[in-house]
Amino acid sequence: MKQIDCQQCGTAVLVEKFSIPHTSVQWVSDAATSCPRFAEATADARDSVCGTTALSCSSLSQSIDDAVREGRLPIKSRVEPVIGDALVADAL
Amino acid sequence: MSIDMTEITDSEQFDEVRLIDAGSNPTRFARGWHCLGRSKDFRDGKPHTIKVFGTKVVIWADTKGKLNVLDAYCRHMGGDLSKGEIKGDEISCPFHDWRWGGDGKCKDVPYAQRVPLRARTAAWETMEVNGLLFVWNDPQGNPPPADVTIPEIPGFGTDEWSDWSWNTFLVEGSNCREIVDNVVDMAHFFYVHYQMPQYFKNIFEGHIAAQHMRSTGRDDIHTGVQLDMPDSETISDAAYYGPSFMLDTVYTVAGDTTVETKLVNCHYPISQDSFVLMFGTSVHTIDGVTQEQANAMADMFTEGVETQFKQDVEIWKHKTRIENPLLTAEDGPVYQLRRWYEQFFVDVEDITEDMVARFEFEVDTTKALETWKVEVAENVAKGMVPEQDPTKAKA
Repeated sequence: MKQIDCQQCGTAVLVEKFSIPHTSVQWVSDAATSCPRFAEATADARDSVCGTTALSCSSLSQSIDDAVREGRLPIKSRVEPVIGDALVADAL
Repeated sequence: MSIDMTEITDSEQFDEVRLIDAGSNPTRFARGWHCLGRSKDFRDGKPHTIKVFGTKVVIWADTKGKLNVLDAYCRHMGGDLSKGEIKGDEISCPFHDWRWGGDGKCKDVPYAQRVPLRARTAAWETMEVNGLLFVWNDPQGNPPPADVTIPEIPGFGTDEWSDWSWNTFLVEGSNCREIVDNVVDMAHFFYVHYQMPQYFKNIFEGHIAAQHMRSTGRDDIHTGVQLDMPDSETISDAAYYGPSFMLDTVYTVAGDTTVETKLVNCHYPISQDSFVLMFGTSVHTIDGVTQEQANAMADMFTEGVETQFKQDVEIWKHKTRIENPLLTAEDGPVYQLRRWYEQFFVDVEDITEDMVARFEFEVDTTKALETWKVEVAENVAKGMVPEQDPTKAKA
């Protein structure tokens, strides 16, 4: 996974792409407090269908798309399982 | 579990046989709220019993209507409390009339001067939400945290929603992780559930694991889930709240008509290799739809779901437990789902950040849809309808 910083708020996440439509995002900070959009929406979202998992951030999606277009985020084949330290080591 | 970290590229050739690591079932039952069924089914003035969490429990309503859940075996001489009677707020043992309260304490032994010390049995904290009974299970014995709960369906219990159309399956020979794995299994929706996922995304965060799916039916096989609405599209936003209770909001859209359905998919473990799978359907009554019509739609939807779950059960009956699934890029995040699921099987202080941190995974359905459209068209052209009822499937 590769580290991608959100161009809006700077929150760093780990991202992996197996193809253009596929995206995998591993948050390494608390999404509800580190992303201002989530922070704003979290209070209401807790009681809604699917809670905070219904939220998404278009700025982060845009940041990931830009990284792919600019060649900073390569499209890779899948390696499983990727867990713990290996996941973080791969990002750096 | 052995982990092979070798980088695998398309160009490399691997001659080695891939071995299945079947692992072993967990040694404890999950921490979390478990649904035991519709509350009204336990409110007929009689004690009820079910097998759950490796034991047997008694369920009864006290004079205030509160549902209580205790270990069914009387701590005196092991009588089965579920064969006893409700006396006031207590359940009385049929063997010697010992009276047990919902808090797990023995309140009275009518033939004795006093209740002995340590006359306390296992009690599960109960909760009722959306007309369903839940028990809190925690091997550490802690009370449920306030932020770990089951969301209420707005307007449930009024004319707005049809009654739960409810079904129960006994699944033997499988650990309940099998059904949880389905949360991320995009492709099985086509092969096992006769749906065509167009869009499929999982998000895990905290104790919630969600599956957002947009799908259509198959032209070669129709199920009740399509609600007899031709060319309908299904918008499904489902989430597990804890280890065993999934609530799914389903919009079935056809032309100008949209039907909103709440689908519950939940289970409780009997033992480590058997569980009870339950599902319920409630349809939102819309303008021009009577409660009766909504009930009929709920029944049709449930029938469709029942067919689907039977197909799952047939798969589980014959498959092996597998710790090291072999995945394509088009499979969902099985390993990350299991990492999330693991939080319910460790002590709360041992929950690690990676089990609960937000994780998002959108599956690429492009190739799958290309393939499936061809397969369905061929079936339609041949007038062939694949076998639907697993009980009739040829061995």
